[in-house]
Amino acid sequence: MQTATLVTPAAVTVERRLLNSRQRLGVGLLLALALLGFGLPLISDLDPARQNLSQILAAPSLAEPFGTDHLGRSMLARMASAVQLSLGLALLGVVTAAVPGVLLGVLAGWRGGWVDRCLTVLADTLLALPGLLLVLLLVAIAPGSFWALYVGIALVLWIEYFRVVRQTTVRLMVSPQIEASRLLGFGPGYILRRHLWPALAPVVLTLGAFGAATAILAIAALGFVSVGLRPPTAELGLMMTELLPYYHDAPWVLLQPITAVFLLVLALNLLAGGRKP
Amino acid sequence: MIKLRSILIGASMLAAVSVHASDGVLDIVAPWEVGSTDPAKAGYVYTRLQIGETLVEVNDQGKPRPGLAESWTISDDQLSWRFTVRQGVRFHDGSPLTAEVAARALQRALAKPGMLAVAPIEAIGVDGDQVVVRLSSPFAPLPALLAHSSTQILAPASYNEAGEASQVIGTGPYRIERLQMPQKLSATVFNDYWGETPAIAKLSYLAAGRGETRALMAQSGDADIVFTLDPASQARLQRDSRLEVHGVAISRTLSLKINAGHPFLADPKARQALSLALDRRGMAAGLLRTPEAAASQLFPPTMGDWHLQALSGAERDLEQARALLAGLGWKADDKGMLSRNGKPFTLTLTTFADRPELPLLATAIQAQLRELGVALVVNVSNASEIPAGHRDGSLQLALVARNFALVSDPLGTLLQDFGPRGGDWGAMNWHSARLGEILQQLLQETDSQTALGLRQEAARLLHRELPMIPLAWYQQSAAVSSKVAGFSIDPFERSYRVSDMRWVQ
Amino acid sequence: MIPVLSYRLMQAVLVALMVGVLTFILTHALPGDMAFRIAAGRYGYDYVNAAAAAAVGAELGLGLPAWQALGYWLWDLLRLDLGQSLVSGEAVVDELRHQLGHSLQLAVAAVGLSMLLGPPIGILAGLHPGGRIDRLTLLLATVLRALPQFVIGILLVMLLAVQLGWLPAAGHGTAAHTLLPALTLALGLAAVACRVSRNAMQDVAGSAFYAFGRTKGLSERRVFSRHGLRNVAVPVLAHQAMQLVYLIEGVVVVETLFAWPGIGHALVHAIVARDVPMIQGTALVLGLMFVLMNALVDLLCHRIDPRRREA
Repeated sequence: MQTATLVTPAAVTVERRLLNSRQRLGVGLLLALALLGFGLPLISDLDPARQNLSQILAAPSLAEPFGTDHLGRSMLARMASAVQLSLGLALLGVVTAAVPGVLLGVLAGWRGGWVDRCLTVLADTLLALPGLLLVLLLVAIAPGSFWALYVGIALVLWIEYFRVVRQTTVRLMVSPQIEASRLLGFGPGYILRRHLWPALAPVVLTLGAFGAATAILAIAALGFVSVGLRPPTAELGLMMTELLPYYHDAPWVLLQPITAVFLLVLALNLLAGGRKP
Repeated sequence: MIKLRSILIGASMLAAVSVHASDGVLDIVAPWEVGSTDPAKAGYVYTRLQIGETLVEVNDQGKPRPGLAESWTISDDQLSWRFTVRQGVRFHDGSPLTAEVAARALQRALAKPGMLAVAPIEAIGVDGDQVVVRLSSPFAPLPALLAHSSTQILAPASYNEAGEASQVIGTGPYRIERLQMPQKLSATVFNDYWGETPAIAKLSYLAAGRGETRALMAQSGDADIVFTLDPASQARLQRDSRLEVHGVAISRTLSLKINAGHPFLADPKARQALSLALDRRGMAAGLLRTPEAAASQLFPPTMGDWHLQALSGAERDLEQARALLAGLGWKADDKGMLSRNGKPFTLTLTTFADRPELPLLATAIQAQLRELGVALVVNVSNASEIPAGHRDGSLQLALVARNFALVSDPLGTLLQDFGPRGGDWGAMNWHSARLGEILQQLLQETDSQTALGLRQEAARLLHRELPMIPLAWYQQSAAVSSKVAGFSIDPFERSYRVSDMRWVQ
Repeated sequence: MIPVLSYRLMQAVLVALMVGVLTFILTHALPGDMAFRIAAGRYGYDYVNAAAAAAVGAELGLGLPAWQALGYWLWDLLRLDLGQSLVSGEAVVDELRHQLGHSLQLAVAAVGLSMLLGPPIGILAGLHPGGRIDRLTLLLATVLRALPQFVIGILLVMLLAVQLGWLPAAGHGTAAHTLLPALTLALGLAAVACRVSRNAMQDVAGSAFYAFGRTKGLSERRVFSRHGLRNVAVPVLAHQAMQLVYLIEGVVVVETLFAWPGIGHALVHAIVARDVPMIQGTALVLGLMFVLMNALVDLLCHRIDPRRREA
């Protein structure tokens, strides 16, 4: 469960622009994924659980545009269902991690003093606990529940946001613009909206982009050691684990969930990477 | 980049020399970890690698033959067994094997959980060069129990004060050179071995949990022998000219353990219906990739007398299954799901992931029973949930892989599985007085024709009543490098038989 | 310097306490019968039954109230005794030494390899943000981050072990055995390290002091080595050091794939088998290592970046 500090908070330029071309591409990709996940089930009655053991690992064809998996299930239906679930849960996991992380980070950076010290000690100590242990224990307490899995992962990830946001806030709070705003008597809401958030947003978004991938891959990794399996649910990470044994027989099947995660991460990255060179 | 490449190339050249050269070490890779030095816990590793030995050995038909015991006799009342301990046998530390040492090792085994507890043993004593086992009631399969790895005879120095074996000092043709629990063991030939000295002088054992890893190790030449190939890799390895793939049917059956006390499952007709709804051929061919593994009955052909010859019936018949359930009052709703008196036909199937085929089969069963109108919740958990659920009565269905040859005589396992209170891995809330009689009678039956009749009757009874629904018979498989000659698979998985192998010149 | 170290020392004590209490509460909240779980871990799935579980329960005295058991653990900890594994019966310290040693070896090799791969490319990309190298590395980093480690691992094994026969496919024992699992981990790490150093480089290159270095007439190379490298090193180093800790605990996939006897693998097994002393011991050692690593990073950053010494 590795987290990523992808952005050094220094020199985050505050820039207000409409979406640039990279970001538009990102939005397009996300929409395409969402269309597959949420649109397809509306127009077809494909069943992601229906098996056909005489048609296993079939190559893509007209009837089955994505082929079939190791139990002869329609990969199209499974991918749609998995994208829906994983997109939803990954975004939920990211939000669950980001909201407390950002709020507490701003609080610690803004207030300073003992609030800052207490929160930092808490975060440092939690960070020292092995994340794998926390997630495994939570999953063991609520076996087979995806919620426990994502909440566990979010619990591990929030500290990353806290640390980065706190650092950025501390530096911004002493900047001349914020001093000026404060002297002019603007309230905390204004400062947050006008100064802090524009500076924090790209950092948080980049962390979130990779955080979503981390969450999905963490579930794949846990599935690899047989934690979190709950047939017949389709989830991108678990599909990678389940389909791994067939990497030689049917590589195209294993490639599908990987491609979906790749597109998701790429889209979020493009969206977050609004920083102009 | 350049730096890295040169490092990689340099290191890889080193590796090429050290790994792929014929270093005279036979590399064995298998999925089982070496969790302990105690025979009660991980004894099978040491007997398989021929480090520890047992009083009794077993031939390919499962019949007992002399091991560390040269011979044995049984008293007329069948209550006293005398095993004459082989003379001139030395342990790896040089100490001699005596009847006292053997008896002490067996007493330790008896005190711990294990197969020996199945037998009604009153006392294990010594008389001269004989180990004397006294029973409270006749128990014909006793020699088979004494061939079990938990009863292997280790030197007195192996045990610590607590009576646990903290090192493995056996009598076998190989002695441990280095043990790195839980994954690695290397052994070398024991020069004072009482039998024939093996041709291969050194072996190493590596536990690799993933089937993909093992298959790749076979392909790359890192392993000379790889046990338990995953179905998906088998075909690929068969095409590899440097490897030979072996497969042997063993007495392990993948089956559904059923709570016959559950209101939905109490009627044998309901169990029959579930059985008819299963696509055994599809699962065997498509998932296990061995079409002949589809199980028409609980006991596989390898179990000889216990297997019913004149039985087919692995076929799927959804219509008949539906009719049977309709006869029991189950009605289908517009989606085809069944319910009775407002209660939906929903069951929980518990299984575990230690054997990778189990969750896969569970998923297939889930879909097949759904076609019948039965909703199945699959709970992939730990193996211990099944005996625990059996004890507290909460278990409904469990997918298990029961090995009936835990000891070479299946009676040892069947007594555990189909006792009066069922068995942790066998029947649940189901008991047949007749089956109990048969098993008890077999404990003292000496006439082989009568025994055959009894075994066949037991098999027919289990087939009719279905306290366990059989799905597939298991095949043990291995990929062997063409450098190795004389390889064979022990159908009782007691030994890897390295001492019979040699290098191809 | 002293306050930094005393803060870390206090943190170490806190971590030890928290690990003990938290793992205790959580392991006791776990569903399933502990004796059965331990018996399954000990005897394997063929032999776990009620008799085995009863024997385990009697031997270990599992009936002890939770607060007493916790008290014993803390008391033993004060005497530097981590107890014995409930499954194997070995001393926890011995098991940890074996497994942690292997994990450390793998993690250090992986971080080393990723340092060779990631930051140089990242710095190149950061010198020309938006350029061809930059876009290419973003794509590559995203691909590597989207691939699960087991897929990267299998691809590497197929290429380097099966096709080319350069490296052993799996196992442990020689230095050559370390390379493939380390490389598997390093690729994912390098992807991230590359992006971190790219961003750091971009920030540094855009800063006032970097521009000043140029205007005062220093060559591009000297500006880079005098002003660039040091400033890029701090965030990259901090990041990589943390990765080392994540690696040690989080490489269970790679350990399983390469049959590597690491601590992640041990932790998973311990949790499945409810081996409480093993769980606590592992968590404690990992936690303390994290604190130690943080302290080392603090010291190193002090060294590299003189400005921090005042802070």
